[in-house]
Amino acid sequence: MSETLLEVNGLAKHYPVRKGLIVAKQVGTVRAVDGVSFSLKRGETLALVGESGCGKSTTARLVLRLIEPSAGTIRFEGVDVTRISGAAQRAMRRRMQIVFQDPYASLNPRLTVAETIAEPMLVHGIGDAASRRKRVEELLSLVGLRSFHAQRYPHEFSGGQRQRIGIARALAVQPDLVVCDEPVSALDVSIQAQVVNLLKDLQRRFGLAYLFIAHDLAVVKHVADRVAVMYLGQIVEVAGKRDLFAAPRHPYTRALLAAIPHPDPQRRGQVKPLGGDLPSPLNPPSGCRFHTRCPFAQERCRKEAPALRQLAPGHEAACHFAETLPAVGLDFTGGLSEAATKRLALYAKARAA
Amino acid sequence: MSAATETDEPIAPPRPGVLARLLREPAAAFSLLLVVLLIAAAILAPLLAPTDPYDNDLSLAMQPPGSEGLPLGADAQGRDMITRLLFGLRVSLLMGFAAVVLGGGLGAALGFLAAFYHRWLDGPIMRLVDIMLSFPAILVGLAIAAIFGPGIFSVVMALSVATVPLMARIVRGSAMVVMRLDYIEAARATGMTDARLIWKHLAPNCLSAIFVFATLRFGQVILLGSALSFLGLGAQPPVPELGAMASEGRNFLFFAPHIAVVPCILIFIVVLAFNVLGDALRDALDPRLRV
Repeated sequence: MSETLLEVNGLAKHYPVRKGLIVAKQVGTVRAVDGVSFSLKRGETLALVGESGCGKSTTARLVLRLIEPSAGTIRFEGVDVTRISGAAQRAMRRRMQIVFQDPYASLNPRLTVAETIAEPMLVHGIGDAASRRKRVEELLSLVGLRSFHAQRYPHEFSGGQRQRIGIARALAVQPDLVVCDEPVSALDVSIQAQVVNLLKDLQRRFGLAYLFIAHDLAVVKHVADRVAVMYLGQIVEVAGKRDLFAAPRHPYTRALLAAIPHPDPQRRGQVKPLGGDLPSPLNPPSGCRFHTRCPFAQERCRKEAPALRQLAPGHEAACHFAETLPAVGLDFTGGLSEAATKRLALYAKARAA
Repeated sequence: MSAATETDEPIAPPRPGVLARLLREPAAAFSLLLVVLLIAAAILAPLLAPTDPYDNDLSLAMQPPGSEGLPLGADAQGRDMITRLLFGLRVSLLMGFAAVVLGGGLGAALGFLAAFYHRWLDGPIMRLVDIMLSFPAILVGLAIAAIFGPGIFSVVMALSVATVPLMARIVRGSAMVVMRLDYIEAARATGMTDARLIWKHLAPNCLSAIFVFATLRFGQVILLGSALSFLGLGAQPPVPELGAMASEGRNFLFFAPHIAVVPCILIFIVVLAFNVLGDALRDALDPRLRV
């Protein structure tokens, strides 16, 4: 299970900004994703977290080559898939699938559920019509739907059911990697639990690797093995889930964790919320991109961009002063709000059932 | 999960097919009946017509409707209006269909390509469309008639060419909206070919725009075709064509209004029936509107 499935190196997506009516001159570059590297083992879940606009979803689409990267390499099972095209690329797509955030936009309203789920198999020439029909029924029951749902259209389902259909479609071709682009953030809390647990069960059954994009730390805490924190198109910290929640080393990660609502009134005043907004990726700050909002920023941070470096086995952070930052003084491991704790309990209960 | 989904049997009765859904709407059922009758009348014109469309009897010229043996009267050359209308319907329907199918088909294909390969083809295709749009249909008709000679074929060509840019623009706009939706990305992620993606995922979701425009255009094309006939580019005089008949009758509007009015009423019925049917068909084909 420790075999590396996906390896991403220096992945970047730069969008040119052009101006001019007749001759379009490039006046700038939006660095949506700027040099992201990570790896993912078979059967593992890597969560990608960060505030909106930090490039999480772009990274996910780059990995799947739904957007063409400007730089960097993507290796799948050691094979460089960054530049493959045509039939080779289509074959590669069978191995990596995606589950979308919005269950209302991710299903073709003109196709029945059976057609939607069977299509990936049809495209890859798997089985004949009868075996595909059987497989559709299998997949439906796998994701907790009934076989008579197959002949219905997407608009006849609720958001949670549609998300299950989306998951069944992703699993139809037995992929090794599923990119989950905020798969539960558009769902009700009670439905979130069902879908998250479904994803975890399927992972256990099929040894799937998940690249799990999220902004909800309660969900991340529940599903992830490792967590990568993104800020302004770059990864600022990667660590095992426990390490990250117990001892965040990057000031941004700390701020993110501290921002989780907490029921303890004693903590009031101890948490200083981050000031300011996410700087524009069109003109990112010099040096460390976080220095404009970092409470610990020093002269060096303004001049020198910190590299992601290993602080402990499996724990990397991109901060010059990661070792010398004052102690957090807050316990993040229990630092979930009452609501979040309840939700986690709900997840656990639903799983046990 | 609700109790309803616990049973193994679907509770909903089997869905009605497209035709059944179409017939449920009275206006749609009526327009379908009308369209079927019109097409049947056009096809069976030689059997239904009481006389030959070219037989004239000047003694009957401009006989008003209701005259003996001439329920709809006779035209300026003393030809039976009913016969002329039946044969005229043939030419007009054929012209309208051919132009909408050919021009609309090509236009839709261009629109899909422009939206799908937005980066490479949108500029070239849409500029081409702009150029086509800047020539009036009449001018295109003149040019084509100059090449192939006047006749129905030239009219169909001219009307098709005039339909291409309009359909291309409408389909491109509709397809660009659909292209932004997640299910297109999902389809791409399954690794299907571009052709399949366009055919199975993009095109069906642009169908309503295509339907609405095609039915509207059908009426316009019949009228445009008669304008071309009027200029002497289309159906040549003895050949009956609804628009041409209307324009011939224009000269006698004060003495024998029926010669112009009756073909116009038939054009009106044809256009209306196709529009209502097109709308109903669009709704019947949309799974979201199924009950």
